[in-house]
Amino acid sequence: MLIPRLIRRGGAVVAAAALVAGLGACSGAGAGSSSAAKTLTIANVLDNNSFDPTQLNIGNQMQYWSPVVDTLLTRDKSNKLQPSLATAWKYDPTRTVLNLKLKSGVKFTDGTPFDASVVRANLTNLAAGTGQNSYMSQSVTTYQIVSPTEINLKLKTPDPGLIDYLASVGGVMASPKSLKSPTVATTPVGSGPYVLDKAGTVVGSTYTYTRNTGYWNAAAFPYDKIVIKPMTDLTARLNALKSGQLNAALTDTNSLADAKRTGLTVNTTPVNWNGLLLMDRDGKLVPALKDVRVRQAINYAFDREAILKNVSHSEGALTTQIFNVAGDGYDKSLDGRYNYDVAKAKQLLTEAGYGDGFTITMPEAANFAQYNAIITQQLAAIAITVKWVKVPANAVIPEILSGKYPVAFMTLGSQSAWQDIQKAVTRKSPWNPLKAGDPRLDKLLAAAQTAPEAQLPAAMKAVSKWLVDQAWFAPWYRENSVFLSDSRTAVAMQAYNVAPGISSFSPKE
Amino acid sequence: MIGFVGRRLMACAVLVVMIAVVTFLLAFSATGNVARNLLGENATADQLAAKNAELGLDQPLLAQLGSWAGHALRGDLGISWFTNEPVSQAIANRLPVTLSMVVLAVACTALISVCLGVAAAVRGGWLDRSIQVLSVLGFALPNFWVALVLVVFFSVSLGVLPATGYVRLSESPGGWASALVLPVASLVIGSTASAAQQVRGAVIDVLRQDFVRTLRARGLSPRSVLFRHALRNAASPALTVLSLQFIALLGGAVVIEKVFAIPGLGTLTINAALQGDVPVLMGVVVTLVVLVVIVNLAIDVVSGWVNPKVRVR
Repeated sequence: MLIPRLIRRGGAVVAAAALVAGLGACSGAGAGSSSAAKTLTIANVLDNNSFDPTQLNIGNQMQYWSPVVDTLLTRDKSNKLQPSLATAWKYDPTRTVLNLKLKSGVKFTDGTPFDASVVRANLTNLAAGTGQNSYMSQSVTTYQIVSPTEINLKLKTPDPGLIDYLASVGGVMASPKSLKSPTVATTPVGSGPYVLDKAGTVVGSTYTYTRNTGYWNAAAFPYDKIVIKPMTDLTARLNALKSGQLNAALTDTNSLADAKRTGLTVNTTPVNWNGLLLMDRDGKLVPALKDVRVRQAINYAFDREAILKNVSHSEGALTTQIFNVAGDGYDKSLDGRYNYDVAKAKQLLTEAGYGDGFTITMPEAANFAQYNAIITQQLAAIAITVKWVKVPANAVIPEILSGKYPVAFMTLGSQSAWQDIQKAVTRKSPWNPLKAGDPRLDKLLAAAQTAPEAQLPAAMKAVSKWLVDQAWFAPWYRENSVFLSDSRTAVAMQAYNVAPGISSFSPKE
Repeated sequence: MIGFVGRRLMACAVLVVMIAVVTFLLAFSATGNVARNLLGENATADQLAAKNAELGLDQPLLAQLGSWAGHALRGDLGISWFTNEPVSQAIANRLPVTLSMVVLAVACTALISVCLGVAAAVRGGWLDRSIQVLSVLGFALPNFWVALVLVVFFSVSLGVLPATGYVRLSESPGGWASALVLPVASLVIGSTASAAQQVRGAVIDVLRQDFVRTLRARGLSPRSVLFRHALRNAASPALTVLSLQFIALLGGAVVIEKVFAIPGLGTLTINAALQGDVPVLMGVVVTLVVLVVIVNLAIDVVSGWVNPKVRVR
């Protein structure tokens, strides 16, 4: 009676579920459908913040804007600078005038032609903006338009990072008409290989890009359609990738074994370094940290190899320096400078008069919970006590940059050497919140800033050696950023960015 | 009945205002790092101050509350600090997603729990015991764990249902339905387990009452007694349970949306809370509170209509 009816209804429910599954399979929503042969579907760990050129970010959010805009320069798969909207670039002997030859015949999607005045409009707009990367064009003081296809960027003092910036947010070119438009944050008007398909875009869910017809370098972009899905949850990204809904996605080292087992391709790049920022080098908060021997002792106290193996599953390389392997400042010979040696650390502390130890205060953030116990234990071994102060996840960076802490753990990205110096080494650097400095370092930085191109690597390496010798930081290792891709998608990882740009993807033959 | 609805409406309005004020005070009192997070590490003190002024964060808290409330009453919930999307648009885009999931889950919960609850109450014996054991099991399993198991089995192993995402109904009815099968199933297992037990208890209580014995003595068929009289009397507690389930499922949707990367209100809430995107957080909280209040009000009205005794409370 009732039970057979329930069973019959249960059968109907199962049949309905099967029907729904069949309908879903026919809907072609996944990256694996046959219609998606020329579609690239990727996940991003963040939502897009803005298409306003003054608000663009590097890192993960670069994937949202890189389809729709061109930059003046670009980087190839081996990280070498290549022409883009600027076909040639050259400094004068004083390195205070950068001459750019520009591509002709390029138009933005609103029909505005690209020329030297557009370069001036974009760079001044960026410099006047309040975005995270406004600094990228702030060293330019004067713009001299030589012709519609040539411009001189004049600087007050040399800026060794400028050319690198022109291949990043600093070189983004958008239609000047769009720069002050009320819709600039949501409607990009660029000259890039793709255009944002507003009908196929739902903020927070899906960003769809279709080809910009007539794009000057279409052959370099093999996909007809790009779909980017913001997915903050790692498990969701992995499941979507494994089930064929995505072609590629950023993950972390914890999911590597699972990814390899399911046949996904693991692509890595060592952009970030993990370790301690020893910010109180002048001893303003903790006098002991003013002594270089104490900072060196902290460097010796960490078993970098064990941490790399057990926390990051050996995905990375031990290091003592903050500079990117692909940049001018990296010196391989420095990476073995502070091998794990507790006895040596104790000896240095004793020589400095801190054999009985001291206490430091560090911010405790849930993002880095896996490192906190290690830091406590390894510093305790040399009698340094850590007092943790709980900090909300979204306040970690502001708290560290506030100058309240002498030491903090951080995973910090590294790009070109001068960019990293500006970020963390000069007296004005944001990641030098206690504004520590040293005349010897100032001299090295001045030499690097004015060095001719041929001598730049040596000058940057000299800075790196000084920073390592003086133990300004305690880096443990460069951790690989892991980007997974399916069997149909090739990914060329970039040296300076955790997430590859759209030009880095191609279908596997 | 009109007086009853009026009293309920007044109480609901007070509740919405109170929750909005408390949320505002909690959220806006912790906005010290927002400008830094927005402007990045290179921002100067002047730029941070200018940004705080632009966002109105330099004003006293009560002035900020007055400004937000004034705009909100005119339907302007502000703009997301982190994505520049108007909050009302963000909610309008995501509310149908969450409602699709929750309404389907409530409907499935109602259908399945009534079937199971009535079957358990009427048949008793091994069926009753089996349903009770399954209910306890279903209640004990966390919905996010159930969701992960379902994804691994149906999406990764069998490949018959999508692991993540949402398809708009207007875009593809089939895609919409298939996208919701696993999320809804994840929600329904726990809610059904709870509701089936409540329905079972309510039906057993009613079936033990004197009027049921009288109806049986008058010769009415067991089916008529059950479906025309007992179920109607058991409906009131069942409806209350369903309204509570709706609210619980809204909460559960926050986690389930995360697991399935569904762009609904839950995902919006989590992201806003993690980033400190207060305008979005306020918009979502007020929307959810209004939603919960509407559902409770509707259930009160329906209960009052079904059972006149309720109206005198």
